[in-house]
Amino acid sequence: MALRPGTRILAVVGATFLLLVVGAAVFADVLAAHPPDRASGAPYERPSAGHLLGTDDLGRDLWAQLVFGARVSLFVGLLAAVIATVTGAAAALVAGWRGGWVDVLIMRVVDLVLSLPFLVLVLVLATYFGRGLQVLVLLIAGVLWARPARLLRGQVLKLREFGHVVAADSMGAGQVRILGVHVLRRLVPLLISQFVRAAAVAVIVQSGVAFLGMGDPGRVSWGSTLYFANNGSAILTDAWLWWVVPPGVALTVLIVGLAFAGFALEEWAEPQLVGHGWRPPIHRRLDDDRGSEPPPGVALAIRGLSVDFDGSRVVRAVDLTVERGRMLGLVGESGCGKSTLALAVMGLVPHPGRVHGRSVHLGDVDLRRLGRRGLQRIRGRELAVVPQAAMSVLDPTRTILRQVAESSALGGHPDPDGHAGTLLSRVGLPADRHRAFPHELSGGQRQRVVIAMAVANRPRLVIADEPTTGLDVETQRQILDLLDELRIELGMDLWLISHDLPVVASRVDDLAIMYAGRIVEVGAAGQVLGAPTHPYTSLLLDAFPSLDGDRRGGRPVPGEAPDPMALPSGCAFAPRCEQRVDRCTHDEPDTMSVGGTLVACHVAGSAIDDATSLGGTTP
Amino acid sequence: MVVLAALMVNFALPRLAPGDPIDYLVPPDSGIVDAEQREAMLEDFGLHGSSLDQFGRYLANLTRGDLGVSVRDGRAVSEVVVDRLWWSLLLVGTAVLVSTVLGVALGFAAGWRRGSRRDVGLLAGVLAVDALPAFFVGLMLMLVFSVQLGWFPVYGATAPESLTGLAWVVDVIERLALPATTLTLVGLGSVFVVARSSMVSELGEDHVFMARAKGLAEDRVRRQAARNALIPVSTVALLGFSTLVGAATVVEAVFSYPGLGSLAFEAVRARDYPVLQAVFLLLSLVAIAANLVADVVYPLLDPRVRRVGSR
Repeated sequence: MALRPGTRILAVVGATFLLLVVGAAVFADVLAAHPPDRASGAPYERPSAGHLLGTDDLGRDLWAQLVFGARVSLFVGLLAAVIATVTGAAAALVAGWRGGWVDVLIMRVVDLVLSLPFLVLVLVLATYFGRGLQVLVLLIAGVLWARPARLLRGQVLKLREFGHVVAADSMGAGQVRILGVHVLRRLVPLLISQFVRAAAVAVIVQSGVAFLGMGDPGRVSWGSTLYFANNGSAILTDAWLWWVVPPGVALTVLIVGLAFAGFALEEWAEPQLVGHGWRPPIHRRLDDDRGSEPPPGVALAIRGLSVDFDGSRVVRAVDLTVERGRMLGLVGESGCGKSTLALAVMGLVPHPGRVHGRSVHLGDVDLRRLGRRGLQRIRGRELAVVPQAAMSVLDPTRTILRQVAESSALGGHPDPDGHAGTLLSRVGLPADRHRAFPHELSGGQRQRVVIAMAVANRPRLVIADEPTTGLDVETQRQILDLLDELRIELGMDLWLISHDLPVVASRVDDLAIMYAGRIVEVGAAGQVLGAPTHPYTSLLLDAFPSLDGDRRGGRPVPGEAPDPMALPSGCAFAPRCEQRVDRCTHDEPDTMSVGGTLVACHVAGSAIDDATSLGGTTP
Repeated sequence: MVVLAALMVNFALPRLAPGDPIDYLVPPDSGIVDAEQREAMLEDFGLHGSSLDQFGRYLANLTRGDLGVSVRDGRAVSEVVVDRLWWSLLLVGTAVLVSTVLGVALGFAAGWRRGSRRDVGLLAGVLAVDALPAFFVGLMLMLVFSVQLGWFPVYGATAPESLTGLAWVVDVIERLALPATTLTLVGLGSVFVVARSSMVSELGEDHVFMARAKGLAEDRVRRQAARNALIPVSTVALLGFSTLVGAATVVEAVFSYPGLGSLAFEAVRARDYPVLQAVFLLLSLVAIAANLVADVVYPLLDPRVRRVGSR
């Protein structure tokens, strides 16, 4: 996994800093001419050739203290981190794998250790158990193990569930090995980052203890140098420059190095930990005069719209029209690009996606010619959406009334709350539920709230993208009835998107079938359903029990939907098509008019003599 | 339950350790006290009898608010501790408040535009500041603002001469400024990191998509994301309390600030067990209280937790 440029800078800086400290520790004997812990000059000497950083109050060489201090810090940091991480991992494995009272007991101890003030605990323990450096390392590790233990236990629990799956899948001798490999592979990233973090904290704590004068009296470290500097009031004279700053900077370099390296390692080992942030869509405004005049009598007219994601084209040169007063249904398998098409119309295609196209007219406004702000003003006022996963799109922290009122306010209603109340009642939510939070409502109720938000400003067009997914059949019917009623009542147009042909078929006036990013057939619903011309449409119809009760259906479309990264040459449907001819596998069909519907198929086209090629849809 | 465990740890730790406070006060071979006097001294400090007896007495005294007598100067421990408690609360409270507000603001700003130059810059800056040891930050601030510029007094919480009214308040604030700034910088990093990643993950949520789809302007979308991202941050901010209490020990030592941290430090040096026990107990209780506060604050931010019980 490659690192992002920003992270790479952090990684390089971190590695450089760490190398600097390790170098000083390894070559301390060479770098320093004097011993760090015995007087080699007069007290309070200023920097000179003999003493690069001068001497402290006891005449000890400060440069020697600086380079030898690296050894102490690295020793404490590494050893304490190793002990803490190993102990923490062991505790996590035992707790997570055994579960039950063992888990409860261990986690109680972890919580207790975590909630106690850290440095004070080490200080107190150090008083009682002695001040030697080795003792201190043990004490620090004894406090530090709790954090990795807590985090790793969460992972172990997840892995245990995963382990059951593996165990069920793989019978016999390979099982233990597979589990071991999976467990280790999954724990390693967290182990690494926790190790680095523990090392940094150990260094800070050791230097803190030494700074308070409670460290190992026989050992010179950066913390102890600063302790003597503080007691010798170095900052009141100009000695701060060579007495206070160098050890402080050295500590900072080491800890910054660890922090940066840890951050980079974490992102390298587990990129999904950091997640993919949503970024505003790349929206390029078209400034040239291509495109077209708005077709009259049309609610929405999409012309030549394509969407690319990282080089693969998921929506391919789509032409689609919602006639005023006629409900459009768009049907296709999941992954065929129908939701992306809707997002492209809204101007909400997520980050790496790029939208191309001649025009998208909403009434007589070309949405492709609006800037980002212009589109934002269209959304929710002229063009509304009832999105996919409507169950989870409400803000969990606010009441539904506030969220609907927010939409009303966008349209400039003088009394948004009152208007929102009316809307919620209209979509069928009783008044005593208006101040409920989303999690207190059923899926159907939440869907109604989203519909209320969508229609709040009487938009010209509502795009309903899988509005009934996850609802039971009866609720599905109610929701679709409600949308239909509101459409007529408020004089809006409706574009219904679904993977479920029967849900859409009986309600829409026009029907479009989408396959692998293209509209393969579109026409009046009765015609498309009654006499399908594209083989895919026929197969889709066969996949469902017939609408007029004739039980010929139930046969799924054979084969699998194509990968948009690797579309077959020629017609994308050819590999699954039972009627394909030679031409289909190397020549992508154009869209042509066949018996009143538009269809993109060689076979259907050649069957009719007067087939008229409309041309130009091959990208 | 946790409180009881803390009490036991608190009681047991000093007694497990090698060394005897009386030996420390009066070296055994110095011949100043005979065996009888020694017993009397142990009794004075509540250190006689079996461990179980001692623990029983310890609990009983605790319920009466009697924390024993300081080995060092014979004052009642409760009195010594309460003197210092207020300064500690002032210092740590200020730092927790400022570092939380600042950390959340910066973290959200970075997470909102993740991967941008602003994000990487803030991240590197905060990680670097976070890496500075508390005492070094303290020393540097003191060096620049007190010694070189002379803007703030060097140490203590109040001026040696007694001030009254507004002058006293100003003096307290002046002396609070540097230690509180130091401690704020110490606490900033963890809040920032959590706020940032919380914002980043919130931006992937469906409700943020919906906020855009329903036509909200970007600043409204941002406010909605922030409101939701705040939920996990609240827990971390309050848990950071105990870290800051620990770091306060060092900061108080640098600035000679008369809080509990420096009292603990003094007690450690003097092997003043009763005081040390009391300080440690108090700090543990403060940390546990912070946990409780987190439990109370959480439902205020997250209605899903709030109403579950009442349904």
